[in-house]
Amino acid sequence: MPKRKVAALEKIDADFANLQYKIRRDPKSYIDDFRRQFDQYESQREIFLVSPAAASSEQVESFQNLIDLIAHVADCYPEETASFPDDLKTILSQHHTVLGSELRDKIVGSLMLLRRKEVIDSANVLTCLFPILVASPSKSFRAVLFGKILSDMRNSNTKAINHPLNRTIQTVLYNMVTADRSSPRAIWAIKLTRELWKRQIWTDAKPVDVMKEACLSDNEKVAVGAVRFFLGGDKEREELEDESSDEEVDLSKIRHQIGINKKTKKQKKAYEKAVDKVHRAERKKNKPHPLNFSAFHLLHDPQQFSEELFSKHLQNTKAKLSLDSKLLVLQLVTRLVGLHQLTIVPLYSWFIKFLTPRQQSVTSFLASLAQGTHNLVPPDVLEPLLQKIANEFVSEASAAEVAAAGLNSIREICARQPLAMTDTLLQDLVQYRKSKDKGVMMAAKGLLSLFREVDPELLKKKDRGKDATIGLRAGTLKNMKFGQEESGGIEGLELLAKWKEEEKKRKRVEKGLPETAGSDEENKDEDDGFNSSDWEVESDDSSVSGDWVNVDHSDDEAPAPKKRKGGEEPSDDEEENEEDRAAELERMAKLATTTILTPADLAKLQELRTEAALERAMGGKVRKGHSNNNPAARHLDDGVTAENIEAPARLRKLTKEEKVALAKEGKPEREEHKSTRAINKSKKDAAGKSTSNREKARKKNFLMTLGKAKSKQKRSLVETRKVLRGHIDRSTHGGKRRNGT
Amino acid sequence: MGSSAKKKKEKAKDFQKPKYKVGKAKPKASNFTDTSFKSKSIVMGHQSLSTVAPDVTQQFKHNLSLASSAKSDKQRQEALSYLTTQLSSEPAVNPLGAPLLLSKLLPLVSDSSTPVRAQLLKLFRALPEDEVRHSTEQAILYIRAGMTHLSADIGNDSLGFMEWLLDIADEDLVRCPGGWVKTLNTFCAMLGWSITSKKDGWTSSGAAQKVARGKVAQNQARCLEALTKFLRAGFQPETEMVSNPRAADDNLYRIPREPSAFAYLNLAGPRRDGDAEMYLDRESRQRVFHKRFHESISRGLEQTKKEGGSTGRSAATLSQLLLGDEGMGDYEPSGAIETEDLLELW
Repeated sequence: MPKRKVAALEKIDADFANLQYKIRRDPKSYIDDFRRQFDQYESQREIFLVSPAAASSEQVESFQNLIDLIAHVADCYPEETASFPDDLKTILSQHHTVLGSELRDKIVGSLMLLRRKEVIDSANVLTCLFPILVASPSKSFRAVLFGKILSDMRNSNTKAINHPLNRTIQTVLYNMVTADRSSPRAIWAIKLTRELWKRQIWTDAKPVDVMKEACLSDNEKVAVGAVRFFLGGDKEREELEDESSDEEVDLSKIRHQIGINKKTKKQKKAYEKAVDKVHRAERKKNKPHPLNFSAFHLLHDPQQFSEELFSKHLQNTKAKLSLDSKLLVLQLVTRLVGLHQLTIVPLYSWFIKFLTPRQQSVTSFLASLAQGTHNLVPPDVLEPLLQKIANEFVSEASAAEVAAAGLNSIREICARQPLAMTDTLLQDLVQYRKSKDKGVMMAAKGLLSLFREVDPELLKKKDRGKDATIGLRAGTLKNMKFGQEESGGIEGLELLAKWKEEEKKRKRVEKGLPETAGSDEENKDEDDGFNSSDWEVESDDSSVSGDWVNVDHSDDEAPAPKKRKGGEEPSDDEEENEEDRAAELERMAKLATTTILTPADLAKLQELRTEAALERAMGGKVRKGHSNNNPAARHLDDGVTAENIEAPARLRKLTKEEKVALAKEGKPEREEHKSTRAINKSKKDAAGKSTSNREKARKKNFLMTLGKAKSKQKRSLVETRKVLRGHIDRSTHGGKRRNGT
Repeated sequence: MGSSAKKKKEKAKDFQKPKYKVGKAKPKASNFTDTSFKSKSIVMGHQSLSTVAPDVTQQFKHNLSLASSAKSDKQRQEALSYLTTQLSSEPAVNPLGAPLLLSKLLPLVSDSSTPVRAQLLKLFRALPEDEVRHSTEQAILYIRAGMTHLSADIGNDSLGFMEWLLDIADEDLVRCPGGWVKTLNTFCAMLGWSITSKKDGWTSSGAAQKVARGKVAQNQARCLEALTKFLRAGFQPETEMVSNPRAADDNLYRIPREPSAFAYLNLAGPRRDGDAEMYLDRESRQRVFHKRFHESISRGLEQTKKEGGSTGRSAATLSQLLLGDEGMGDYEPSGAIETEDLLELW
C-alpha cells in the first residue's frame, strides 16, 4: 500500500524530530510527552504483535518512527525504558522472518544505537544478533547483521582490547562450530573469525582453535573456508597492513598551501589531521611486525590436528570433497608437516597413486609433496616416490613440460631430504641437462647444482665441479647423516665483526694512534665499546637508512642455519682457504661469545645483511630466472606452490601481451606515441607545477602581442637605443630586470 | 570577419532543395521522429467486462476496501458513509459480519483526517452491540493507541471511541486481558498524572502545574468524564447470577455464549505480565487500582479540582465516585495473595 499523504497540520504536531530534539535538551520537563509516546509505542507494539506479518505499511511506519524516537532518547529515561531493549530483542528474534526489511533494519539499528549509548552491553546485543544471523533466510538481512556485528566488535576493541567480550564471542563461535559438524551454519563463525583476524582484533590462540575445529567439519564449505584461512589469513592481514600504511601525507605541501590560501578553521583542522596521521604512521613504524605469531604457530598440537585432517578428508575414501578442496586440505596438511617437522608416515604412501602426468593439477600434488618433506622424514619412505616421479614424468617420450615439472619437484624434495636420492637415479636425471628444451635443461641443471652442494659423492666425477672436488679432497664437505643437525650461528655476524674492526681502526686514526693496538690497549677499547648511547637504535647515526634498504626481506626473518655456498669465496690456495675459514670461525665465535649484542648492533647487523644481499644481486651472480626458484631465498613460512614446480615451463608459454608487459616493466608509462618531452610535460602538469617563462611566451595569445609589435615600429631612435642598452645591461646582471627598467 | 563565409554557407544550406532520386526513398526531414515499435504482445489495462451491475455484496466489499485503503480523505469518508447507510438501513445489510468489518476499520481510529474519524464513529454506533462485544479486546488496542497519539485531535476523538465502547461493552472491556491496567495507564499518561512517585523532594513539574484553558481544558474535562465512566464500569458490583437449575448441564453440554469464554486460561498465546493480566472480578480490580493508581490519581484529582471550571467539576464527580461506596469506599486492603506476587514467584 502506498504512503498516505500527511496533512500539513498533522505534520506540525506529529513531528518526532522536533520532540526528540526537545527531549534531548531538557529531559526532565518533557517527561510527560515522553511517557505518552512510550505508551503509544506500547499500544502500537501490541497491535503489531497481533499480526506481525499482515501489518499495514502505515502501522509499520509509525511503529518504526516510535522505535526510532525511543531509542534515541532511551538514555535520558533509563527507568521508563528498562524493558525497551528486551522488547526489541524479542520482536527481532521471534519475528525476524516475517518483518519488513525496513522495520527489521530499523530495529537492528536501534539496538546498535542503544549499545552505543551504553544502555546495553555488547555481549547482550551480539548474543541476540548472532543466532539470527545464522538462521535468517534473507541474504540482505544477513549482510546487514554481519556488518553490524563486525563493526560492533571493532568498536568495542578500539580503545583497549575487550577481553571478556572477545572470550564470550569466541566461545559462542567455538560452540557453534563444534555443536553440529555437518551443518553449514558454521560458515558464519569462519567469516567473522577471519575478518577479525585480518584486522588484528583477534590475535591469540582461541580463534585459531575455532578454525582448527572448523577444518574438521563434515561440511565441505565450512572445512574449505577454514583451510583457506590457514593458507591465506596471514597474507591477508599483511596486505591490509600495507594498504593502510600506503596513504602518505605530504606535510610540507599542506603547510605551503596554508601559507598561501585563506586561513580558515577548516584548513587548520585539515592540517591538524594530517599531522596526527603522520604521527600515527610514525608510531606504527616503531611497532613490532603484525605477524609476530602466524596462525600456524599459534596452533595447539599440530601433530594430532594434521593427522586428523589427513585421515578425515584425504585418506578416508568416503570423504566426498571435490578435487580443489582436497588439494587445499592437502596443502594445509603438508604445510603443517613441513613447518613443524611432523611425522605422518601414511601420507607419503598415499601420494603414490596421484603421481602420474594424467592426474588433474598434478603440479599442485607435486608441490604439496615437496612441501611436506623435511629432513626428519625417513629416506626409505621417499625413495619409491622419487622413483615413481622419475619413471612417470622424466623420460624422453614425455612432453618437455612434464619432464621439467618432474625434475623440478625432485629437486624440491631433495633440497629438503637429500638422503632420499640414489646415485644411479641421480646420474640418470642429471643427463637431462643436455636436453634441447630450455625448461628441462634448467631443471636438470638445478638438480645438478643442488647435489654439488649437498652430496657431490652421488654425482659422477666429471659432474662434480671444481669446488665440490676440492672440498671432497680436503674433507671440508661432509654429507649430513639422517637426523643430524647443523650447529647454527648468527647469519651475517662476520660482517658485523668486520665492520666493528674497521670502525675501531677509524677511531684510532682520528685520535692519531697507529692502526693496530697493543694487547693491553685492546681490552680497554672493548670496554669503551659499551657506552650507553650505543644501546639505542636511534642514537647510532650510521643506522639511518636510505630508500634502498628495504630491498630483500625474504631471508632475514629467522637466524636459520644456513648452508654456505662453496663458490662464495673464491680461493685458489687450499691451505690459505682453510686458514681463513678457521680465523673467521674464531672471530665469529669471539664476537658472539664475548659480547652482548645491543639493539644498535642488531640494527647494524640487519643493515649489513641487506647491503650484502644487494651487492650480491648487483654483482649479477644470481641468475634472473633462477632467483625465484632458489630455495634458500624463500621464506620458510611461505611453502611451495605449483608455480614453483611449473615456473620454467611457464617461460615458454607466455602470450604476446605478457611478453610485452615484461619488457615494459620499469620503463616510463607511454600510452600513446608522444615525445619524451611531451610526456614529461604532462607529468609536470599533473604534479601541479607551473610552466617556464619560455613556455608562457610561446603560448601567449597572438592578439595580445600585436600591440607591442606595432609600437615597436614607431619607436624613435632614442627609445630603440634605450631598449638595446637595457638588453645588454640585463645580460650582464644575470638576465633580471630591476625595478623600473 | 573571418567566419562570415562559413556562416553564409551554413545559412544557405537551409534553403537548399533536397534532391529526389528515382528508386530511392524520400530523404527524412530533419525533425523526423521514429514512432515505430516492436512488441511481442499488447496488454490492455484492466477492464470490467460484466454486463450486469455489481450486486450489493460486491459493492459493500468494494467500499470497505476503499474505506480502509483509499488515498484521498474524501474517498475514505464517502466509502464510510456508504457503509453506514447500509448498516443502518432497516434490515441491516452486513454481508461480512461485524468482527471482520471492525478488524478492517479499526486502524482508522488514528486516521489523520477529522471527518473520516467522525464518520467512523457514526459507523461504529450503527453496528449491532452484541456482535461488537466479541471484538472488544481488539478494539481497545486501537483506541488506546489513538488516545496517546502525538496529534491532540486524534487523541480527543479517540475518547469518543472510548465512550462508544464503554456504552456497549463496558463489562467486557474491563475484564479483557490488559483492559483494566493498561487502559488506566493510558488515561494517566493522557492526563499527565505520573504513576511513578517522585523520589526527589521537588514538586512535580510538567502538566500537573499547568492551568489548562480553552480547548485544552475542555479536552481534559472530556477525558476525566471518560475516566469516570471507565472506573464506574470497573467498580460496578457483579450482578447476581440468576440461579439456573440446569447450570451444571449447560456447562457440560452447551457451548458458552459469552465472548472468549476460556480466555482466562490463556491456553494459547504468550505469558502475560502484570499489565496484560485479566482482572475478572471487582475485588481484584480494586486491589490493583489501590496498589498502583489510587495515589497518583487522587493526587492529580486534588490538583485538577483546584482549577475549577468544567474540568474541576468533572474532577469532583470522579473523586466522589472514588470515595463513594460504588468506588473504592468499601475496599479494605487485605492480605490475600495477589496473582502478581504469584507470577513473581513463578
